[in-house]
Amino acid sequence: MAIGSRALEVAGARGLGRWARAREWWEQEHVFGYGLILPAFVLIACLVAYPFGMAIYFSLSDYWVGSPGSFVGIGNFREILGNEVFRQTVWNSFVFTAIALTAKAVLGVWLALLLARNLKGKRLLRGAVLLPWVIPTALSTLGWWWMFDSLYSVVNWTAIRLGLMTPPGPNWLGMSTYAMAAVITVNVWRGLPFFAITVLAGLVSIPREFYEAAEVDGASAFARFRYVTLPLLKPVLAVVILFSTIFTFNDFNIVYVLTRGGPVNTTHLFATLAYQVGLQGGNLGQGAAISLFMLPMLGLVVFFQLRYIRRE
Amino acid sequence: MSARVSRRHFLTSTAVVAGSLALDRAPSFAQKRELTFLSWNHFVPAADDELRKQAEAFGKQAGATVRVDTIAHLQLPAKRAAEAQSQSGHDLLLTGGADPYLFENQLADVGDLVDELGKKQGGWYPFAAESCQTKSGWKAVPWFWISFPATYNMAHFKKAGLEYPKTWAELLSHGKILKKQGNPVGIALSHCADANTTYWSVAWCHGAKVLEADGKTPALVSDKTAQVIEWYKELYRDAMEPEVLSWDDASNNRGILSGKLSWIHNPISPYNAALKEKMPIADDINHHPSPAGPAGTHSAPPINMVSIWKFSKNIPLAKDFLKFLFQKENYDAWIVASNAFNHPPLRHLADHPIWARNPKFAMLPKEAEYAHPRGWPAKPNDAVARVEVNYILPDMVAKAVNGMPTKRAMEWGQEQTALAVKGQLKASG
Repeated sequence: MAIGSRALEVAGARGLGRWARAREWWEQEHVFGYGLILPAFVLIACLVAYPFGMAIYFSLSDYWVGSPGSFVGIGNFREILGNEVFRQTVWNSFVFTAIALTAKAVLGVWLALLLARNLKGKRLLRGAVLLPWVIPTALSTLGWWWMFDSLYSVVNWTAIRLGLMTPPGPNWLGMSTYAMAAVITVNVWRGLPFFAITVLAGLVSIPREFYEAAEVDGASAFARFRYVTLPLLKPVLAVVILFSTIFTFNDFNIVYVLTRGGPVNTTHLFATLAYQVGLQGGNLGQGAAISLFMLPMLGLVVFFQLRYIRRE
Repeated sequence: MSARVSRRHFLTSTAVVAGSLALDRAPSFAQKRELTFLSWNHFVPAADDELRKQAEAFGKQAGATVRVDTIAHLQLPAKRAAEAQSQSGHDLLLTGGADPYLFENQLADVGDLVDELGKKQGGWYPFAAESCQTKSGWKAVPWFWISFPATYNMAHFKKAGLEYPKTWAELLSHGKILKKQGNPVGIALSHCADANTTYWSVAWCHGAKVLEADGKTPALVSDKTAQVIEWYKELYRDAMEPEVLSWDDASNNRGILSGKLSWIHNPISPYNAALKEKMPIADDINHHPSPAGPAGTHSAPPINMVSIWKFSKNIPLAKDFLKFLFQKENYDAWIVASNAFNHPPLRHLADHPIWARNPKFAMLPKEAEYAHPRGWPAKPNDAVARVEVNYILPDMVAKAVNGMPTKRAMEWGQEQTALAVKGQLKASG
């Protein structure tokens, strides 16, 4: 420490070792602080910033797997916009994200309210709720895929036995509407715990006094939710919705395992189409352009939501 | 603490490490070369076991360690792209379809090896060899192809009083009867490899094509393609069930093994699975040659090959390894391990008794005589690869069976094919 060494110098201690000097340098606040950030910074630079920069570069070039291309400006973006399959994918992504996000937000708050109650086995229940979020998506989606199988669908089997469907029941992954419903269902199932647990944390932090005061004023259960819970949850909700928007837009596993973008491209999302075009088809430039297409729009969403959160 | 001491300490300890490396580690490194091979998880796992056994035997003989890494076939494209991009990874890799064209600039020339093996084993089947020869040389060695016959349930056909269909038209008329009997036929119309394979076969048998022989002029819009689409529409409506729109490559296997489907277009894997699991249905399942059409019989069996990365430091050793795999006794053992699933692309290796012995397999090797690489009459190229990975052909048919007028579906397919051609990789860029 600076003071310590000066004290030593004053005391006439000469020939301070290199080790000690290095230590002194290290322990200055600005060096030490940056030093602590450095590992995280290097990680982000190598694993996030570098690939991201490369992706932007790829999207502006006619880069092929393994063979460098030349700069083509926004040529890739113009080309993908001219492709009907891509336009279909844009539409799919918006439908998918809008429905899945709404369902997750509504069900997530509802589930959080249930979990906040003092139930028996509360901890076990809260742990169990997290399961869909914890299991690797590729694995759990395989389970869903089997449930939607055209021949052995347990969903159809059960519903037919219960008399709710006429055999053979819906062709889940073969008809565009059903297929979209299927991928949305799995996405909601998987993303719900994230919503519920985060909202739960927000709920727990609302002081009891507000509710007591509301009750004294004769507020009904709905009014307490509408005028106490919801306004105080807003900041948490905004953050969760922000994250979830990004996650949902960028979903890959669920669609890839369930439908591979079919039937006839009606469930393709940006990530699955980018994989198909960029890696399987070898056209890295276009693949990157597809995956980056949403970037400006997501950037705007993030900007406004963060601003909103700060204002709150 | 004195800096000099610590520096000296550092120097001595480094010297010790370096010395030990120099004395006993480094020489052993130089002796033991490592050869690595990236392959897929074979559909018949015993084939991979045999491959690893042979790799070890070759390693002993050549004084090298040979490592065979297998991953799921769906993960291969990403892994390959990553290795090409980073110019590091395995020495050998499994390629297929139009990969030699896609990675033309990245793969080592293996012309000498192809030549030598061909001379020794009675020559290559043209359809297998054509997929490996790019403008800049041989970029892969054909390894094995997978026969794509029809698989049918004899009991269902017998019950309906029918013989197996010799033509696609017969499949349609038989299929109508079989569907009424509760045993529809099945051809995938979805995002899966089988859907592509069957489309090529049906289209060629009707004289239709996707690209002109020049490899860049879309040729989808034609009366022939319209006939193909109409045929598919009728088959879908009267002989199949809508589930074919959701199928993956294993769905038709399950469909025939469950006893529901009467006929599928597929490699012999369902039969092999039934044998392995000792399912009673194995007795009812049989194969027959892929049906014919007005323009003859044509088939597009999947072709798998082995390539060597240009960046590999062991190219001669890798070639020796391939020579070893193609020695008759080794290749034969590998065919047996795959239970007749792996077909040799070399004529002399093809007369293995495994096919002659089982009447249900007897006609399989003949498929080589009417097989073509995808894209034919065009040479395989990366545009063909994009037509395949984007599932343009099955999607075109799926649009039509879902109600889009045939002409419009065909124009959609043509437009998508034109886009696939437009993004064509410049040769040696």
